[in-house]
Amino acid sequence: MKTLKHEIKSLEDWQKVIKTLLPHLKYGTILALSGPLGAGKTTFVQLLAKALGAKVNPRSPTFSLVRNYSLLTTNYLLKRLVHVDAYRIEDEKDLLPLNLDEELAEPGTIMAIEWPENIKKWLTHQRTPIIHIDISLQKTRRQVQISAEAGV
Amino acid sequence: MKRMRILAIETSCDETAVSIVHFCGEKMIRVVKNLVFSQIPIHQKYGGVVPEVAARSHVAETVSLLTQATGKQQLKSFDAIAVTQGPGLATALRVGIEAARTLTFLSGKPLIGVNHLEGHLASAWLNAQNREKFKFPLLALIVSGGHTELVLMKDFCKYKIVGQTRDDAAGECFDKSAKLMGLPYPGGPHIAQLALDGDPHAFDLPHPMLKDPSLDFSFSGLKTAVRQSWEKLEIKNKKIRKNFAASLQQTIVDVLVEKTIRAAKKFKVNGILLVGGVSANQELRRQMGERIECELKKVTFLPSDRLYITDNAAMIAAAGFWRLRNGDRTNWKTIDAKPEWNV
Repeated sequence: MKTLKHEIKSLEDWQKVIKTLLPHLKYGTILALSGPLGAGKTTFVQLLAKALGAKVNPRSPTFSLVRNYSLLTTNYLLKRLVHVDAYRIEDEKDLLPLNLDEELAEPGTIMAIEWPENIKKWLTHQRTPIIHIDISLQKTRRQVQISAEAGV
Repeated sequence: MKRMRILAIETSCDETAVSIVHFCGEKMIRVVKNLVFSQIPIHQKYGGVVPEVAARSHVAETVSLLTQATGKQQLKSFDAIAVTQGPGLATALRVGIEAARTLTFLSGKPLIGVNHLEGHLASAWLNAQNREKFKFPLLALIVSGGHTELVLMKDFCKYKIVGQTRDDAAGECFDKSAKLMGLPYPGGPHIAQLALDGDPHAFDLPHPMLKDPSLDFSFSGLKTAVRQSWEKLEIKNKKIRKNFAASLQQTIVDVLVEKTIRAAKKFKVNGILLVGGVSANQELRRQMGERIECELKKVTFLPSDRLYITDNAAMIAAAGFWRLRNGDRTNWKTIDAKPEWNV
C-alpha cells in the first residue's frame, strides 16, 4: 500500500477513505490515528466500525481508555474492533494493566489507537502490520494521510 | 425495619473508595465512613497523566482504606458487602471485586455487585430531603468525564436510558476544550472559574443536537468548533478568555438543560436528578433549577450533595442497599468485572 492523501470535506469523504482502507485490514492490524483535538479521530473510528458491521456506535474511549466492539462482517474475517485512546497515557508503564498485547492476540481483532504518539515504544515492538492515519487541520481544511509499514 | 450495615468498595475509575453506611429503613441513613483515595492531588494530574492506572493494579490502596474504615470492627459487624462491578476499566474494577469477594468468603455475608451509574443515581438519594421527594417516575441526568446519560427511573432498580452521548462525554468536552485554550487539568473547574465574570453570549458556538428530536447528545463537533473559533482569535487577552470560557460553558449547559427538560416533559416525571462530576458546575445547577421551576411547576429538582458528586463508595452502598432490598444477590464465586455495563 502506497502513501495516500485525501482532502476531507464531508462524512462522504471519510467513507471513501474507509472504503479504500477496508481490503487492507487483516486481523492483528493496528490503525494508528494521529491528529490534534477535534481532528475527527473518533468520527473516523465510528465510521469504520459501521463499515465493519458493528452494531454499537463507538463513543470516545478517553475515560475508559479501551472499548471493544464486536463486528458482524463476513468479508474480512474480522471479529472485533478494539478502540484504544492513549490521550491520558503519559508513562508507557500505565499501559500494562490494559493488556493490549493480549487484546491484540485475540483472533479476529483489529485495533484503532488514538494518540499513538503517547505509546511509541509499545508500537515499535509490535510485529503486526501498522497503518498510520494522520489527520491534519488547518483552519477549516482537513487532510488525511494514510501510510503503511512494510508488509501491508 | 431491620438495620443493614453495608461495607462498600469502589475502584471503577481513577479513585479508590471505601465506605460504611448504616441503613435503618429509608428515614435513617448514616454514612459512617466515606474514604476516597487519590494518589496524586487532582489538580496536579494533567489530562495526559494516568499514573493511577499503574498504581491501581495494586491492591494496596484498597487494603489500606479498608483497614482505615473498619478499624477494630469485626467483619461480622457488617450485614452485606457492595462493590462496583462496572462500567469502568476491567483491571481497575477487578481490584475492588477481588477484595470484596475475599471479604464475602471470610464473612459469609451477602455480596452485591453494583452498577457505577446506579451508584450515581443513588448519590442523589443519600440526601434526606431528596429522599422524601423520591416519587417515581424520575428522570436523571448523569453527567461526568466519562458519561452523559439521561436515565428514566420507573422505580428502584428499574431504569431505561432514554438519551446518551453519541461520542464525547460533557466532562470530556470541558476538559479537552480547556486544553485547547491552554488551561490546566481538570478543565471543568478552570472554565467555570474563568466564566464567572465573562459574557456567555460573546461567542456563538454551535449547540450540537439541539434541533435533533432525539434525546441524545454529541459533544465531539463542539470540540472541533471550539478549536476553530479559538484559533481564529487574534487577541486572546483576559477579557476575551473569560468571554470564551463563559460562552463555551453556556453552550454545554444549554444543551444539557434543554434535553433534560424535554425528556422530563415527554415522560411526565415527578422529579429530576442531577448527578455525576459535572453536576458540580454551579451554572448547570442554577440554570437547571431555574428552568425546572419556571417550566415544570410540579417537578422537584434533586441534585446530589457536593460530598457525593465525584466517585465515592457511599453511593455504591446506597445502590447496593436498593438491590439487596430488592432481593438481588451476586455470587462471590462467579462475580467478574463488567467493563461495558449499562444501567
